[in-house]
Amino acid sequence: MSIVENSAVPIVETINVFKDFGGVRAIDDLSLSFQTGELHCLIGPNGAGKSTLFKLLMGTERPTSGTIHLNGEDITKSQPFERARKGLGIKFQNMQVYQELSVFQNFFVPLRRHYKPIEMPEIVDGLLRRIHLAGLEGEVVKNLSHGQQQWLSIGMSIALEPTVLLLDEPAAGMGPDETASTAEIIRSLNAGGMTIIVIEHDMNFIRNLNSCTSVLHLGSLFTQGSYQEIENNEDVRNIYLGKG
Amino acid sequence: MKEQRGMALRLFGLLNGPQTMGRGYFFWIGFLIIITVAYVAPTHLGIKPYKVNEFLVSGFLAASLSLLWGYCGILSLGQAAFFGIGGYTFGILGINMWDDNGNTHIALLSGVALPTLFAAFIGSIMFFARLKGVYIAILMLVLSLLFETFMLQTADPEVYSIGKALLGGSNGLRPASDIPNLSFGWGEAVAEFNGRRIGFYYFVLTLLIVVYLSLRILLNSSFGYLLVAVREDPDRTETFGYDVRLIQLGVFCIAAALAGLAGSLDTARINRVDPELVFGVSANIMVVIWVSVGGRKDLTAAILGAISLEWLFLWLTTTGSPEYATIVMGAILVFVMLIAPEGIFIFVGQWLGKLFSSKVGRQSEDQDTNV
Repeated sequence: MSIVENSAVPIVETINVFKDFGGVRAIDDLSLSFQTGELHCLIGPNGAGKSTLFKLLMGTERPTSGTIHLNGEDITKSQPFERARKGLGIKFQNMQVYQELSVFQNFFVPLRRHYKPIEMPEIVDGLLRRIHLAGLEGEVVKNLSHGQQQWLSIGMSIALEPTVLLLDEPAAGMGPDETASTAEIIRSLNAGGMTIIVIEHDMNFIRNLNSCTSVLHLGSLFTQGSYQEIENNEDVRNIYLGKG
Repeated sequence: MKEQRGMALRLFGLLNGPQTMGRGYFFWIGFLIIITVAYVAPTHLGIKPYKVNEFLVSGFLAASLSLLWGYCGILSLGQAAFFGIGGYTFGILGINMWDDNGNTHIALLSGVALPTLFAAFIGSIMFFARLKGVYIAILMLVLSLLFETFMLQTADPEVYSIGKALLGGSNGLRPASDIPNLSFGWGEAVAEFNGRRIGFYYFVLTLLIVVYLSLRILLNSSFGYLLVAVREDPDRTETFGYDVRLIQLGVFCIAAALAGLAGSLDTARINRVDPELVFGVSANIMVVIWVSVGGRKDLTAAILGAISLEWLFLWLTTTGSPEYATIVMGAILVFVMLIAPEGIFIFVGQWLGKLFSSKVGRQSEDQDTNV
């Protein structure tokens, strides 16, 4: 009985969240919930509040009002590093890898809190396999392709095995092959039990993920459903074309 | 024997890493040559200690700002505030305790500890309020100028005295003749280092080398990685579970300790602390210029920048007119910002690195073809 109750608690939940920047309302009474083990896409036109939502979830921005829960616990006032320690991982929109360092050295900062240097090669090896970069630990990051750098950035975010992973545009600027590989990486991470929330613009990529999709518009939840339902929704098409 | 060799190699390994320039044997051979030249310079090359002692003291201050700004990305335009606090602390305690102790142990320790404590206080407020960038830079400059303004109006000996020491307003701490030289030892056995003599030169040179090597170890440790991670992207570092505020506070305190050490040494060197010289705008800006011109993102470059610019400045002021010297310093800063924005010594270091690595690369290729 209790197991059923526990599994019903959303792993991430925003309750009546508002966020104002000066006079601009970026998030407008947003109540969203994500279930454990879910793969969930967030889409919406520019300015819909997707990235702001991620910042609120991670704690780099504070909501003007409303609460945010992680695993049933109120984390609205927690600092970003506390949220990270509670199992929240994020890859922000920009790449955030250290260009001058080697792939292995890039993992040093995320891994250092939990592992001794002598344990790191094995851990890094395992991580690199999961992000399609096996064997590249010695490479200097600036010599990697754009897509590989994105994967490395995802790899750094999963180094601490977060229970929830937020990915802001993981396939930005990639070609079709790299986009497909990225979708594969995300699906396999999700298959391993990680809850993953993805912001993306590339519709092919979202089709590829084929997951539950929420559409944000003007800071609120516009609609929610499977990818097919969203794709066939006339209203969603209209807001992208500015008719909403 | 084997164990000792292993330890030496491990220690050598700790000194090197991606956070500091110069890893190979070429660098360390060059380092040893420079050190040797520095040690024999006063006796064999006719370098006058009373002139160069000042440059060595600047080295500590440059290391302080390089650590804070170059490595952790926190620009402070008021790093001289800690230099001044250290200087005054050393002077005040030195004047009061010399007769009883006959050494400057407590004065020197306090000259380092007090700025560190003050940094811990002010840093907690700044970093826990998540203050960033230009706000910290300006706040620190204002703080330094507040100290200057306060100290300038402390001429009244009735009000502004601490024990035997009179703060002395714009004349600086008095009685200046009672500000002791750097002295170590107990009772009769005391080693005293006069700031105009060769002994002080050897002492400060050795201390600078020890501090330099220790900082290299620190910077190439995991703490050093964290500093650079915070500089490159504090938000990202925080999402890895690190409390960035504590890292910033930590480096701020270490930098303050170094600046305090520099201030204490400087007071001991000239037996004088003058509010305008330690807290004023130019004191603060000069540190930024040394470190920018030398190369803020590398410890070696920043220290070399301070020493060489101070040398150049002295040469210009003694051969030309002082106004002319300041203009030349400004021109150098502008020139370097345009030509080598990372700093002259980083530019040279990278060039030398490429030169040697391509030579080594070619040699190993030759060997490959021979095989």
